[in-house]
Amino acid sequence: MSRADTTASILYHRVVVWLLFLILLLPLAGTLLYSLSTSWSATILPDGLTFKWYFELWGEPRFLKAFGQSLLICFSALFLASILILPLLFVVHYHFPRLDGLMNILILLPFAMPPVVSSVGLLQVYGSGPVQLVGTPWILIGCYFTIALPFMYRAITNNLHAINLPDLMDAAHLLGASTWKAAFLVVLPNLRKGLMVSLFLSFSFLFGEFVFANMLVGTRYETLQVYLNNMRNSSGHFNSALVISYFFFVLIFTWAANRLNKDKS
Amino acid sequence: MSYLSIKGLNKSYGSTQIFSDINCEIGQGEFITLLGPSGCGKSTLLRCIAGLTTVNGGQILLDGEDLVPVTPQKRGIGMVFQSYALFPNMSVEQNVAFGLRMQKAGKAQSQARVKEALQMVELSDFANRYPHQLSGGQCQRVALARSLVTRPRLLLLDEPLSALDARIRKHLREQIREIQQELGLTTIFVTHDQEEALVMSDRIFLMNAGRIVQSGKAETLYTEPVDAFAAGFMGNYNLLDAETASRLLDRPISTGVAIRPEAIAITADGEIEGLIRSHSLLGNVIRYRVEARGVELLVDVLNRNESDLHDKGQRIVLSIDSQAVREVA
Repeated sequence: MSRADTTASILYHRVVVWLLFLILLLPLAGTLLYSLSTSWSATILPDGLTFKWYFELWGEPRFLKAFGQSLLICFSALFLASILILPLLFVVHYHFPRLDGLMNILILLPFAMPPVVSSVGLLQVYGSGPVQLVGTPWILIGCYFTIALPFMYRAITNNLHAINLPDLMDAAHLLGASTWKAAFLVVLPNLRKGLMVSLFLSFSFLFGEFVFANMLVGTRYETLQVYLNNMRNSSGHFNSALVISYFFFVLIFTWAANRLNKDKS
Repeated sequence: MSYLSIKGLNKSYGSTQIFSDINCEIGQGEFITLLGPSGCGKSTLLRCIAGLTTVNGGQILLDGEDLVPVTPQKRGIGMVFQSYALFPNMSVEQNVAFGLRMQKAGKAQSQARVKEALQMVELSDFANRYPHQLSGGQCQRVALARSLVTRPRLLLLDEPLSALDARIRKHLREQIREIQQELGLTTIFVTHDQEEALVMSDRIFLMNAGRIVQSGKAETLYTEPVDAFAAGFMGNYNLLDAETASRLLDRPISTGVAIRPEAIAITADGEIEGLIRSHSLLGNVIRYRVEARGVELLVDVLNRNESDLHDKGQRIVLSIDSQAVREVA
């Protein structure tokens, strides 16, 4: 390839990337501007700029409660997922590697079933009878746990394959470590990266989840997305401030987590 | 009395027998190589000695103590793996110190022993590095230091050189042998590379299909193979059946024979006429493919100078050292 061809292809690639970036950024920039405008209806540009909507939003107790409840449900579901999936993965990969094939099918089930269908199923099972969970945060925590499962299973499995688990365990055993010690001192620290990546990915996904939250719990335990839906008839500026706040929270959370997760070496 | 004694050891997975009735005696300070092709059971035997794989029957006696019921943690055995198995989250120093940490050794004692072990493998300057910052050869030296630091009663090496390039492999095998001799450490080394086995070992146990086919000193195994498998595995022997051998040697022979390529000479006073089919240069040796009396033979000749080289299609005369013709079953 000649030099001119290379320059042309680099230019083309850059144009495509920037164009895509702009297309993705445009609705967000529009929403940001709308959330900062005093009013913006019959003019090309807003009449004026203000932080009023943000002050109003962050002073609204119902919003703060929904925000807190969303965080609580997401963190609880991810905590549950972590304490169940890590030992499960360890047992599957160390003692029963053949079960990995079965697990790969099982973890796809939450994705194979459309959320509307599975939420109707959950309503049937947990709406009445001995375990009545519908309308409580518990059903959402359980449900979100199954959604986080595929992300976490895949990411940590890749991590486990990369570290050659059986040899590390064998080496630790021969050096005098019990299985527990080997798992805590040798295996777990090496799964940190996979675990963190999957936790943040799952968090971003769950924090924005609406269908299950709305159908299984609704206003009885309002999450952020359900609150946004319920506020759809209020001021668009207020709603824009809410969307931008949500977006920036996820962005900053992910960025901070990424920073903390950087390798020391 | 032998230091390590294996008696009637059996291992099977379901109906698949990995090895059966393995018996061997190993003296203290000996360097033993388990040599054999892939799947012959040598690595499984090593893992059984380490306690990482259970056995179905038999005894493993180390210094008089039966190891079979003992857990790997308490066997006092060091092991080096083909994949290095270094702990990626720990520095070189922490990796080497891991065994001492498990033994709850004092800090000062631990530091001194780690320093000593790293000096032994010439990696003192790398103590603070992490495994991903090391080359393959350096990783394997760290693994060696880690297994030596606890002063094991027995050292097991499971194909430790297989993942390394030729130059580093050569250097490391010399280093392993030196350290082993310096410490007088009883060592069992598993490999499928006959050159490694010949260079490093005091004795070689040649394995095939789950049994020890032949054991003995390297020289004996090389020059006196007991069967066609041993002859085929230990060198580039010319393996001939009885009829072909009778035709070549012009005398009645009732069993198959094995003839080493270097035992056949290209010489003017020989009696077997032959034709050079091809030749290849193996460094200090030239390997000819020669057809003689309808038999294709490999002939190795020292590469002294270019004028000695015989061209393809050239007619030559061979002589075969009758002492080197080994009858094999």
